[in-house]
Amino acid sequence: MDEVQTDAQALRILIADDSESDRLILSTMVRRQGHDVMTAADGIEAVEGFRRFQPQIVLLDVMMPRMDGMDAARHIKALAGESLVPVIFLTSLSDADALARCLEAGGDDFLSKPYNRIIIEAKINAFNRMRVMHRTLSQQRDVIRAHNQRLVNEQNIAKRVFDNVAHTGCLDAPNIRYHASPMSVFNGDILYACPRPSGGMNILIGDFTGHGLPAAIGAMPVAEIFYGMTSKGFLSGDILREINQKLWRIMPKDMFCCAAFIELDFHLGNLSIWNGGLPCGFLLRRGATVERLTSAHLPLGVVAAERFSVDVARYKVEEGDTVLFATDGVPEAMNAEGEMFGETRLEAAVAGTPDDQSVLDAVLRAVARFTGAEEYSDDLTLLTVDVVPPADVEELPLRVTQSALSGPATWSCEYEVTGETLAQFNPLPLLLHICMEVPGLRRRGGEVYTVLAELYTNALEHGVLGLPSVWKNSPEGFGQYYAERERRLRTVGDHAVLFRLEHKTGRKGGELRVVCRDSGVGFNYTEQTQRTVPEAGYAGRGLALLRQLCDSLTHHGTGNEVEAVYRWTFDPDESEQHTG
Amino acid sequence: MAIHTRRSEDGRTLIISIDGRFDFSSHQSFRDAYEHDDQDVSDYVIDMSETTYLDSSALGMLLLLRDYAGGDAGRVRIENCNSDVRRILSISNFEQLFSIK
Amino acid sequence: MNDKPHLDDDALAELQEVMEGEFDVLIRTYLSDSSERLNALRSALSDRDADAFTRSAHSFKGSCINIGAPRLGALCADAELAGKEERIDDARHVLDDMQSEFAIVRELLEHTLMR
Repeated sequence: MDEVQTDAQALRILIADDSESDRLILSTMVRRQGHDVMTAADGIEAVEGFRRFQPQIVLLDVMMPRMDGMDAARHIKALAGESLVPVIFLTSLSDADALARCLEAGGDDFLSKPYNRIIIEAKINAFNRMRVMHRTLSQQRDVIRAHNQRLVNEQNIAKRVFDNVAHTGCLDAPNIRYHASPMSVFNGDILYACPRPSGGMNILIGDFTGHGLPAAIGAMPVAEIFYGMTSKGFLSGDILREINQKLWRIMPKDMFCCAAFIELDFHLGNLSIWNGGLPCGFLLRRGATVERLTSAHLPLGVVAAERFSVDVARYKVEEGDTVLFATDGVPEAMNAEGEMFGETRLEAAVAGTPDDQSVLDAVLRAVARFTGAEEYSDDLTLLTVDVVPPADVEELPLRVTQSALSGPATWSCEYEVTGETLAQFNPLPLLLHICMEVPGLRRRGGEVYTVLAELYTNALEHGVLGLPSVWKNSPEGFGQYYAERERRLRTVGDHAVLFRLEHKTGRKGGELRVVCRDSGVGFNYTEQTQRTVPEAGYAGRGLALLRQLCDSLTHHGTGNEVEAVYRWTFDPDESEQHTG
Repeated sequence: MAIHTRRSEDGRTLIISIDGRFDFSSHQSFRDAYEHDDQDVSDYVIDMSETTYLDSSALGMLLLLRDYAGGDAGRVRIENCNSDVRRILSISNFEQLFSIK
Repeated sequence: MNDKPHLDDDALAELQEVMEGEFDVLIRTYLSDSSERLNALRSALSDRDADAFTRSAHSFKGSCINIGAPRLGALCADAELAGKEERIDDARHVLDDMQSEFAIVRELLEHTLMR
């Protein structure tokens, strides 16, 4: 045992007493107990002896000539620094004030006269154990401190890597406001935003179970998938499925990610929300009415693909509407009484925000008022996204990898999606990918995607499924439209949508010709071109967009075939003016 | 926080009661509660009548038990939840994974 | 004067056991130390230095208690108190008593050494 070993160990002990006979008695007693003794006759000798002899325990008389025991104790404690050198005062003092002054001077205990060897032995052993324990604790503390320092260094390095992969994307867009701790990746919170090629944006806010590195490791693939797939034009369903599958495969069973996916299309005013396990979010209609965006799904990474649902809630939104989401750090913010902020207070703060103030600030203020804390807790992530005119967020850079190699110049291809595949598969990312092989088209990915997406949506929803676009003009009809879309997709039969893409590069630029044909009955496109309200056909906005982007747009056949010609020039400065 | 276990009369059901906060500190004792039991157990009941709160790591522990009990085929019931506990379970839509009463 | 014994025989016996061969040295040291203390007390008194008197009495008290001379130790305590309270006349009387008590202690201790 450690104790036995330390008790038997010979210690260096300094004894300072001006009475020679007392010194003789004490040093003999201590020496007989097996320790090395050095003696001093006054305080100055004691301090000097401490320097030379480096004793482990000091026995000090209080009253001594030249320098008294209290001053000597102060010097000795200062010299000892961090290591514990017990100082025991030798005294026949009896008044409490004097004893208290000894302790203030750094004394650890008293030994009264007449000396008793049993008590002396017991005290020396007790203080030696304390000294050893102190040294052990100090060493362990130093080890822990070093470990912690290494961990902090590693976290900082890891954070730099994470910041490159799990960067914040377009969180700096003018319509986004957020609050997140800079080290939030290590408390499990994630917050990513990425522009979509079609001009809208996707946002993912979430909260991993657990803290530290495991949570941060989970965040890496989530960010990779989110940014990669969003940039390539995938829709929320595909991205969520991929993230869920990845997390389900790589994470331990008890780790998952509560998250909300926000998909916004500013051109068409469409908002899709998927909430799996995050506290209820809110949609503020022009700062007036509040709709709840409640969790309808299991969190990401809990169940396998077969059981995972990507059904989104769809909303028609307009300029001035705001979406708010928070991780559970907000409703779980606690006040001094241990009471939680809760969703009711959150909703009240959201609903009660004055018109001229930001909802984000209002909620943060309400949380601060409630907790009474000066600073927000680390694991509190809060986000608001405003619906704005598309032009306000057009400048956001797309993160499509640029290749220095020159790509294909002249090519064509045909791609047809038929039957059930129409219900399960979105061909747009693939088609965009093919087009993005052309270097000159890469910087126009957003426009190309929009052209492809508008053509496909029209062919599928109006051509194949026969959905009337007027439904989308009212809030009730909007919901009905998408419900009906789901229903009709399930019984789509042997319908098909065909794309034919042709590209050629000339001296000054290139031309992409896209033919999109569906197996539907078509419609009377002459009326449409005369800008009357369509009975069945494009939503007005979609068509306007296509006409704006393309050099020509023509209908063929029964109206079930559309041909769009998109031209581009080499000079990047002219890209703004090339539309015909 | 304290975790107690008992068996139904036929010995087929293991009832695990959790008192107080169910959070990460319960991790080991919760696992011990079901892992050290024998093979006769076919059903699990988590009795939350004395549970005041659960955090996300508690949800993770419930998933571990579910996995231990056989995943989709396992029979795990969560009973007697108070409204706070119920709310937390339903935000994460755990009704889809457990039978909650 | 107090009614404490001149020497504490048990304490002395224990010291003898602890000090073994050095017991004689200890007693001689104590006796010469004590003579010096008494001289120091005497000169502090003539200098009317109450503080020096008090300190000397305190230190002397400690060594008397340690050596096993309780009656002299108690007189030292009286002297210390008188010095602290600056009762010069009392201090002179106590010092006289200490002087005579020390003569007895010296004789008894020297007798011990001869045994």
